[in-house]
Amino acid sequence: MLSFDFDYHAPSTLKEAVSIYQILERQGKQPLFYGGGTEVLTLGRLNLVYSDALIDIKNIPECRVQMLTDKHLVLGAALTLTALTERNLFPLLSKTARGVADHTARNKITLGGNICGEIFYREAVLPFLLTDSYAVIAGNEIRTVSFDEVFNQFLQLGKGEFLVQLITNRNDLRLPQFHIKRRKQWNIGYPLVTVASIKKAGTVRIAISGLCPFPFRSKKLEEALNNNDISIESRINEAIQHVPSPILHDVEGSDEYRIFVLKNTLQDVLESYQGGES
Amino acid sequence: MYIIGKSVYRKEAVDKVTGEAIYTNDIQSPGMLHARMLLSPYAHARIISINTEKAWKIPGVRAILAGERFPLTGEEIRDRPPIAVDKVRYFGETVALVVADNPVQAKRASELIEVVYEPLPVVNSPTEAMQANAPLVHENIESYEKVERVNPEPNTNIANRTKIRKGNIQKGWSESDVTVEGTVSFSPSDHAAMETRCSIAEIRQDGYVVITTSSQAPFMVKKLINLYFGIDTGKVIVNTPLVGGGYGGKAAVQLEILAFLASRAVGGKKVKLFNTREEDLVTSPCHIGLDAKIKLGCTRNGYLKAAEILYLFDGGAYSDKAVDVSRAGAVDCTGPYHIENVWCDSLCIYTNHPYASPFRGFSHSELLFAFERTMDMLAQKLGLDPLELRRKNAILPGHTTPTQVRLNTSNLGNLPACIDRLKEIMKWEEGQRSIQPDGLIRAKGICCIWKTSTIDTDSSSGVILTFNPDGSVNLISGVVEIGTGTKTILAQILSERLKMPIELIHVRMKVNTQTTPEHWKTVASRGTYMAGRAVLEAAEDAVEQIKKVAACVLHGAVSDLEVAGGRVFLKDEPSTGIELKDVVYGYTYPNGNTIGGQVIGRGTYTLRRMTYLDPQTGEGRPGPEWTVGAQGVEVEFNKRDFTYKIIRAVSVIDIGKVINEKAAQGQVMGAMAMGLCFGGRESFVFDEQGRVLNAQFRTYRPLRYGENPEYVVSFVETPQIDAPYGARGVGEHGLIGMPAALGNALSIAAEVNLNQLPLIPELIWRAKKGNQHALI
Repeated sequence: MLSFDFDYHAPSTLKEAVSIYQILERQGKQPLFYGGGTEVLTLGRLNLVYSDALIDIKNIPECRVQMLTDKHLVLGAALTLTALTERNLFPLLSKTARGVADHTARNKITLGGNICGEIFYREAVLPFLLTDSYAVIAGNEIRTVSFDEVFNQFLQLGKGEFLVQLITNRNDLRLPQFHIKRRKQWNIGYPLVTVASIKKAGTVRIAISGLCPFPFRSKKLEEALNNNDISIESRINEAIQHVPSPILHDVEGSDEYRIFVLKNTLQDVLESYQGGES
Repeated sequence: MYIIGKSVYRKEAVDKVTGEAIYTNDIQSPGMLHARMLLSPYAHARIISINTEKAWKIPGVRAILAGERFPLTGEEIRDRPPIAVDKVRYFGETVALVVADNPVQAKRASELIEVVYEPLPVVNSPTEAMQANAPLVHENIESYEKVERVNPEPNTNIANRTKIRKGNIQKGWSESDVTVEGTVSFSPSDHAAMETRCSIAEIRQDGYVVITTSSQAPFMVKKLINLYFGIDTGKVIVNTPLVGGGYGGKAAVQLEILAFLASRAVGGKKVKLFNTREEDLVTSPCHIGLDAKIKLGCTRNGYLKAAEILYLFDGGAYSDKAVDVSRAGAVDCTGPYHIENVWCDSLCIYTNHPYASPFRGFSHSELLFAFERTMDMLAQKLGLDPLELRRKNAILPGHTTPTQVRLNTSNLGNLPACIDRLKEIMKWEEGQRSIQPDGLIRAKGICCIWKTSTIDTDSSSGVILTFNPDGSVNLISGVVEIGTGTKTILAQILSERLKMPIELIHVRMKVNTQTTPEHWKTVASRGTYMAGRAVLEAAEDAVEQIKKVAACVLHGAVSDLEVAGGRVFLKDEPSTGIELKDVVYGYTYPNGNTIGGQVIGRGTYTLRRMTYLDPQTGEGRPGPEWTVGAQGVEVEFNKRDFTYKIIRAVSVIDIGKVINEKAAQGQVMGAMAMGLCFGGRESFVFDEQGRVLNAQFRTYRPLRYGENPEYVVSFVETPQIDAPYGARGVGEHGLIGMPAALGNALSIAAEVNLNQLPLIPELIWRAKKGNQHALI
């Protein structure tokens, strides 16, 4: 149950969506693009999210694309996490997506919603941080930008912009890869640490969620992990020096414990690559 | 046996699987108003001012209740204002109540109420509450009205103290060669029933108060509305439809009072109050926490001689049912062992935490975690097999309980038989700890359990049987169907007694306190026993009435007759008889003359020979029987990262007699799941200001499908002679040893004593580091 009323708009083209936003804003409204609506409902009922004009992007064909071209995988922002995992065109994304919420919720949660939402784990970004990927963003113009440039703690969208698609280099889809999610206890809940990893051209790449109040990939951390001259233990000890701050310290676990879990998880990833598994 | 022991479907099964079952919040009616609470964001604060001006501007608002002094409430100590006045004492406490035409208006208005607070120092655990300079949660406890036999200690945070003084503790220590001391603690948590609580109240123009509520205690609602507000008990009618899980949380009376006040504020109109999940977790009463200290002494060869116990139960901000929970904790303070010298103080402590209600097991899972962890520590010190230590000391007929009840083969189950069966199932001879080829550690932990029900000494249950023209029976009992299937069990008991197909027994599911005979409360695993006895008495009564009429018709003596299979007939000549349908509304002769009349069977049962506890020694008979059992948990533990998986969980319980096998197994498995999750994950996380940081299912996580281990349930059958067909209570017992068995398994696996809950990997990591600091 929400305390606030809102107008509902369901544009069918990108252009229409952008112009509706601009019109609403001129009218003094607080418009919000949305996909699955799970955060609008669950955070809205606690008044942690507010909007008086919601713009549903699910009817825009570009936002629902799920296709492989010769060189790329194109995924629409309004695809549900369930739709992604069922087609399984990007195995690392499927694994990561399956760790988010529960099945019923994933039937609603969209790729764009998970990436742009308020809940800061945003685990669906991890595979895109690791691969050669691009974000297609609609605003006054449609722009295509390198994902690691446009994602810094959160997706750097301008006012009135929204995420349309994510494009990933086809060659990166089936590289050796790992996804490990460690929780406070057993198989349900937010991550203490989620690590997604690929190995490309002999180099291990790592992206992390749950450790800090934002997901990240750190080049320095990766450099340390790829220093094959020293032991895995030394590499990990060096790598954690490059973890950004702040480290989360909350109901899921303390900061100190999260580092302990991260070390173990990194070790699992590195040892698994050594074992030649993928 | 005709039907006892068979797994018959629940009478309400079709309703539930088709979704047609009606729960309180499903009830809507035209003109019904809706109430919404405003909650305290502080655990302890003075209320400086409340401004409702903006809230009143929301269209549809009919009443706002805030800052008003209503009668204080509470079952033993009347310490709780239904809506906070002067100060708030826990995070989530009700500060205001808005009544509006629809729920959205009520919510909007509640959000616009402006309250100014002045934060006060917080009492954040029972141990803190006991410190000399601790802030007082209640400044004037001596001023509260209370029942006899409860003694709040002025100028402290102690709501009550129950003492057990059995034997001579000094003698016990002098006979002991080995002693061990264990300290245990855990925070409050919750029941997390699927159905959040809901109450609807109406005050009719004729003065009758009609309340519909998701409650385990509709008859208590009636009594308390009378006590608090002076409404004649005959003018309070309480309806309870199906209840979506109680677990003790719905034995406390809270929303009913608020719904009544809301209705009264709008001229008696019907008002509904429905908890959000957050409210159900923290605003309504929760599962009690505990700080405990246990010292045990035994001889060199492992015979227990002394137990010295301090239980500090975290009753939270208001004492309500927590006093009784802490009293039950004293009654079975030791676990199921023969110990001649016992000293126990069980205290109910006020803190600035959400207040406690009963939780499935009523203090037993809590105290058994403390006691059974200490037993394992003792076994380790003695170098004795922990199961052997327990078998040596197992309580037996002839022994006495901590409250000095002499046990016999009827009021006590067979614990050694349970231990032996557990040993077999868990393949105990293969060892308690082993390292697997993949490096993971397999470890087994065990625990013994017992429980009696510390309930009111005059608790009773009534049953009425009426008949239909086809000879079938209607069974009307005050037991609330809270998901345990008890009403189906009652139908089986009746079916057995009348030798009548269970399809011909119609069970009334809803309770209406005006038309349903009272069942004290649907709590304490007492439904089968008390209501079952009432069913048998009602059946006897009906059979006598049937026989009397049939004796005339059949020209025989009453003693020559038998009722079975839908007929009444001559015992020695079964072909001579008449159908029940021709007797139960009186018998009509061919000429029209009718003898007899409607058969209405009536039965009641009241617990017998129950006594209060002696205030100095605790001596007394608090409950009718002790169900015993032995439980085990097997874990697979990763010693590198301290994560673990529960592989198997085993319960061997002396159930007396299995009445419905699948139902009994379901009760035990469900209870085991709750116990494992209470032990392994479910707990409120408090910050330093006493606020609950995880009052949502996002972060407070009951066990889900797929996380469950293999469950093994096995029953021993030692009949309780005075119970229906010998059946003992079993609604709670599957739960109560699980946290201890899990703690024991993990302590063995990790080779460190784990004496806190929940047993999350971070706790084990800290224990291994020797750092016991709290999480946050």
